[in-house]
Amino acid sequence: MTLTDDELVARSMGGDAESFNQLILRWERPIYALAYRVIGREEDARDVCQETFLRAFRALPGFKGQAKFSSWLYRIALNLCRDWIRRQRRAPVMQMPEGVEPGDLVAESGPVESIEDLVGRRQLSAVVEEAMALLPEEQRTAIILKEYHGMTFQEIADMQGCPLSTVKTRLYQGLTVLRRHLEKNGQLTPQLVKRS
Amino acid sequence: MTETFTCGDHGALMSYLYDECSLAERRVISAHVAICGACAEELTALGATREQLATWTPPDAQLGFRIVSEVPRSEVPRSNVLRPLTARWWQRPMPAWAQAAAAALIFTTGVGLGMLRGVDRGPLSSSADPSGPRTAPVTRADLVALEQRLRSEVSNTRAASAPAAATPADQRILQQVRAMIDDSEQRQRRELALRTTEMVRDFDAQRNDDLARIERTLGQMDGTTGVEVAQQRQMLNYLMRVSQRGQ
Repeated sequence: MTLTDDELVARSMGGDAESFNQLILRWERPIYALAYRVIGREEDARDVCQETFLRAFRALPGFKGQAKFSSWLYRIALNLCRDWIRRQRRAPVMQMPEGVEPGDLVAESGPVESIEDLVGRRQLSAVVEEAMALLPEEQRTAIILKEYHGMTFQEIADMQGCPLSTVKTRLYQGLTVLRRHLEKNGQLTPQLVKRS
Repeated sequence: MTETFTCGDHGALMSYLYDECSLAERRVISAHVAICGACAEELTALGATREQLATWTPPDAQLGFRIVSEVPRSEVPRSNVLRPLTARWWQRPMPAWAQAAAAALIFTTGVGLGMLRGVDRGPLSSSADPSGPRTAPVTRADLVALEQRLRSEVSNTRAASAPAAATPADQRILQQVRAMIDDSEQRQRRELALRTTEMVRDFDAQRNDDLARIERTLGQMDGTTGVEVAQQRQMLNYLMRVSQRGQ
């Protein structure tokens, strides 16, 4: 039987650490992905992910359940990411990804994907990451929450503490910058964007 | 917004793109997009951009964090357990004043000992024989004994450094090392293949660029030559006409 987040939270609040571990298991990948996409560094994203759960565990007695547990976690993670960005203000906010082991990539891709396809996918992924790095933090976060975490405009607005219209503007502006960058790098050809 | 939609209403366009609008709004925007090329193109481009975004995946990380009351060392990886940064007193860095005090103490003790020895040695050195201590003459037997002793020491050292028979534990370690080396070689081979493919792609892209540039230059040259031929023809025609008139 799979327990819901609310049930696991209730058990955790009752002192059952194992229930909290189940929540971690359920949410650590999305939180890590969020942190990685916002700050762009694997090791730091891992640290942010770990710190998010530690803070959540410590603050659990104060969690009143007004928001979803996942939204609460996302908010903690985003605050930590924001702190990280503030600390890194002098350096570029996002850097090129740390040396991803090409050997590992080959190994994880399985035998179906050829090296040619793999290189193409990797290049495209790098261009997208590079384009995302060009965006201001608010636009990048809005796009990440929408595209990769499937949040509604309202949820993003609550998360970012801004009006709904601002979220839409951030998304529009961000997507437009991304589109231009991808077109410039030949990942989005004019034929593709022209209407058939 | 439910009644009309005007170009430049980015908020409504976003609601339509992400399918977060009411049915009525959707109908209005769809009707507009059907007749407005600019909005239609923008929507298609933004949709294509969203498709590209899907290719960006974060690298796989070793997570598996756990909240533990006491750390079972065998179960949880060290990196996944948070521990307070407490160290034993001898592991902690010493404050500067303590280091200075220790240095001063050592220095003073050294100086004191040196002075004591100097005082002890003074009268002894003055009463010593200036020609130095006398030594007994070395005999042939002494030298032979010394040689034998050295030989036996060397042979003992050699015997001690000779490799002992490998134990099962050693063999296991050896196997692990071999497996690691094999793994590393395989990884390097894969990396080499990947890099080679990247290089080939770059080379092809550069070659295509160069070919396109050459083609453009040739086209320009063709155009220039064509203009020159036309001018020459005009000139010839003119000369013919002038010469005919003169006749």
